[in-house]
Amino acid sequence: MAVSTNVNAPKPSTGLSAELGKRFRSNIQTYTIILALIAIWILFAVLTNGAFFTAQNVSNLFRQMTVTSFLAIGMVFVIVTGNIDLSVGKLAGFVSVVAAYFQANVWYQMIPDQPLIAAILSVIIGVGVGVLFGVLQGYIIAFLNVPAFIVTLGGMFVLNGLILLVTQGKTIPANQPYFSEIAQGYLPPIAGWIIAAIVVVFLFWNMFRSRQSRARHGFELSNLGLELIVTIFFSLLVIGYVYWVNQYRGVQTPVLLLAITAMIMAYISNNTRFGRYAYAIGGNREAARLSGINIRRSIFLIFILMGLLSGIAGIVLASYVGYGTTAAGQGYELDAIASAILGGTSTLGGVGTVFGALIGSLIMSSLTTGLQMLNVAPAWQYLVKGGVLVLAVYADVYFKKNR
Amino acid sequence: MSEDIILDIRNVTKRFPGVTALDNVSIQIRRGEIHGLCGENGAGKSTLMKILSGVYPHGDYEGTIIYDGKELNLGVGAIRQAREEGIAIVYQELTLVPNMTVGENVFLGKEPVERGAIDWNKLYADTRDILAKYRLEVSPQSVVKYLGVGKMQMVEIAKALSENAKILILDEPTSALTESEIDKLMEILENLRSHGVTCIYITHKLEEFFRITDSVTILRDGRTVATLPTRELTQEKLVSYMVGREMKERFPRSHRKPGEVIFEVNDLHAVDPNETNRKVLNGVTFNLRRGEILGIAGLMGSGRTELVTTIFGEYGKITRGSIKLEGEEIHVSDARDAMHKGISLVPEDRKGQGLVLMQSILKNISLANLDQFSGFMRIDGDAELAAATQQARALAVKAPNLQVRVDSLSGGNQQKVVIAKWLLTNPKILIMDDPTRGIDVGAKYEIYKLMNDLAERGVSIIMISSELEEVLGMSDRIMVMHEGRSTRTLEIAEATQERIMALATGIADELVAA
Ligand SMILES: Nc1ncnc2c1ncn2[C@@H]1O[C@H](COP(=O)(O)OP(=O)(O)OP(=O)(O)O)[C@@H](O)[C@H]1O
Ligand SMILES: [Mg+2]
Repeated sequence: MAVSTNVNAPKPSTGLSAELGKRFRSNIQTYTIILALIAIWILFAVLTNGAFFTAQNVSNLFRQMTVTSFLAIGMVFVIVTGNIDLSVGKLAGFVSVVAAYFQANVWYQMIPDQPLIAAILSVIIGVGVGVLFGVLQGYIIAFLNVPAFIVTLGGMFVLNGLILLVTQGKTIPANQPYFSEIAQGYLPPIAGWIIAAIVVVFLFWNMFRSRQSRARHGFELSNLGLELIVTIFFSLLVIGYVYWVNQYRGVQTPVLLLAITAMIMAYISNNTRFGRYAYAIGGNREAARLSGINIRRSIFLIFILMGLLSGIAGIVLASYVGYGTTAAGQGYELDAIASAILGGTSTLGGVGTVFGALIGSLIMSSLTTGLQMLNVAPAWQYLVKGGVLVLAVYADVYFKKNR
Repeated sequence: MSEDIILDIRNVTKRFPGVTALDNVSIQIRRGEIHGLCGENGAGKSTLMKILSGVYPHGDYEGTIIYDGKELNLGVGAIRQAREEGIAIVYQELTLVPNMTVGENVFLGKEPVERGAIDWNKLYADTRDILAKYRLEVSPQSVVKYLGVGKMQMVEIAKALSENAKILILDEPTSALTESEIDKLMEILENLRSHGVTCIYITHKLEEFFRITDSVTILRDGRTVATLPTRELTQEKLVSYMVGREMKERFPRSHRKPGEVIFEVNDLHAVDPNETNRKVLNGVTFNLRRGEILGIAGLMGSGRTELVTTIFGEYGKITRGSIKLEGEEIHVSDARDAMHKGISLVPEDRKGQGLVLMQSILKNISLANLDQFSGFMRIDGDAELAAATQQARALAVKAPNLQVRVDSLSGGNQQKVVIAKWLLTNPKILIMDDPTRGIDVGAKYEIYKLMNDLAERGVSIIMISSELEEVLGMSDRIMVMHEGRSTRTLEIAEATQERIMALATGIADELVAA
């Protein structure tokens, strides 16, 4: 923690439990949501007699959460700046039908018998479509000053129309060999272990590097034991995950893709000017402007980023379901918004984390999977999800007040 | 006891995570007196007042408060309850709803109702009466956000007065008021005192204690140092009680020699960008030398803030005249551009323009300076923290660490964060719009020293201040504005309070021909 500038402030205690307590209090929001997740998991594990935790089910659960997670990550940035994007579900849907269309109708004529190149081109085109749409919406929002709610609401209608135009109301298959691997593939177990090893080494390296750098700047170092415990805990989490999914078919490619994306985005949100500016704009637009921040540019870039992530989500979606349909991506924007908010993103702007959104998204997909396993009717699934959303946010408000 | 004690605060302690804001505080307040409360930034003054007004209800603090003979026990709906018990407060920070009218604000939460619907006519008529009673020249129908800060503050006071309170709490009511508005407030307070209303009065302008209060309690680091009748106090004594040591002088004087002229404003005319037929500047001419502190004096509404925000590219639309930096004419398009050219502005309104309240001290200090700490992509978090720590130290920001949110700081410490942020930008020209508002005497002194240091290092400073003493104490020259125009620029040797006031009010016929 920072050096105290107040002579009379109590000396920060360096006892392990005291620091753990401090850390817990300062991150209460994240912990509330993680506790909620664990509670939900235990509940389902009990109700399904452990079937919820089988390797196969865990593997599917994580695979299933990827599409909305990409959207939720982007949504964090959008909501943090005080905006909203209602078009992301339909945009992902549109990207998925475009990718399907090219596979079904174009590549076999243009580049027959080149499935790898066809898959790569499908990805490029899909992501490109997402980015382009983000550029368009971002331009209207940032430079023409039309509120994001309206622009993206309009965008949702437009995309719905475009989806119908491309599909002509029919379902288009998207099951080319390489393309399918994007969301349905698994890494061989050994590759999973190598990745786990790399992550663990990185975690430790990062811990020591940041301690060194803090020491170089003459800051007080926090308790080494505590940092070790935290690092070891996360390492075990990664190792445990890899071990468990390896019991089934290995680390899922879309989950790997999501993890990499999330890490990049988390890094951007904390360690780059772009990220900082997003939070400042959402926190106090006027103060941000007077600090010399180019607000239009920031918002423009954020919608492009949202477009990019919608593009990725669309590709994963097409690969996951294996076809593009008129209903593709329907309602995903709401799942994404709910995930972000569950994860602690403030609808008032200025607050939110990528990590939180991932946990939020994991809660949403845990609910879906768990309730399906219990054969709960879809109607009741909606009721439960809605209730959990409001309850979770209330719990958060409650804990904050009674800290 | 023979004395009639209306409020007996006994051993009150209030803790926040990491800070003990009030530590066993005891104060007795007599019925009908004006009781001053004095202390450094973060001493706990506002916190104590928030306990009285129910922001922190019973159970949120330790100790007892006896109000009017019985224990003050504010529970659910504490704020409303306090109001009904006759405790009215004007908070340190403005709490008006900007998009509502004056009338709506005054009656917010207690709107007159006629058969289930708000009786607007009564609401506006009552507002008009209240405003008239205290001779406040504001229309009940005007929307609050278009009023200046001073007017807003007066509306806030009117709102509190409309409650028919037994105790009126004023937390730094004058920090945004002009001299004449302060005079008006003093009159109102004397009038209330003669009607038996008790008043608790907080300010950092020490002379006001001597002007209006009957007794003063001094708080230091959350503890009561002393309660004394005002007539037994002197400014020096008050200061030494507050800061715990003697302070010889209020303004450090440095012997510097300003260099050549680096910034010139010539016959600047500008209009309000939203209403282009409203003129805000009608001919401002002045220059600024390297390493000089130029004070800008003037009444509220004389265009001082408009002038500096126009220079900063953030407000007025320039219709005539020129601005030259180092001999070359410049056109500043916005804040970003201004900063690129080496001009920084410490804005007037810390909450609205200076700070991102929900973020940490660290992030606020570095916000305008991230380029310094960034490579192509990455922000060097440690370099950032080191620089921010240094600034926070230099300004004695009182906080457990730099990760705490700025909205948990006392008002004066928030202001220090704003100043720290802008000092870090390393400007050639630093414009400060009322930089020491709400800051205690000790910290002011530190800021003045920093300003002197900067000037000695060749930074040119433009300082707006509503406190004439401060302008006189710190400036090398003083430019006086009157109705959007610059009048004479006085050398410090020839400047006196009277002369500045004469120019500012337009009595003196010293206007420089444009
Ligand atoms: N909501 C809060 N959370 C945490 N700490 C707080 C909170 N409110 C106040 N504090 C701390 O309590 C202390 C007293 O603050 P308070 O606002 O009462 O000071 P003050 O005497 O009014 O100062 P100023 O003259 O600057 O207005 C400060 O150290 C402040 O940081
Ligand atoms: Mg205060």
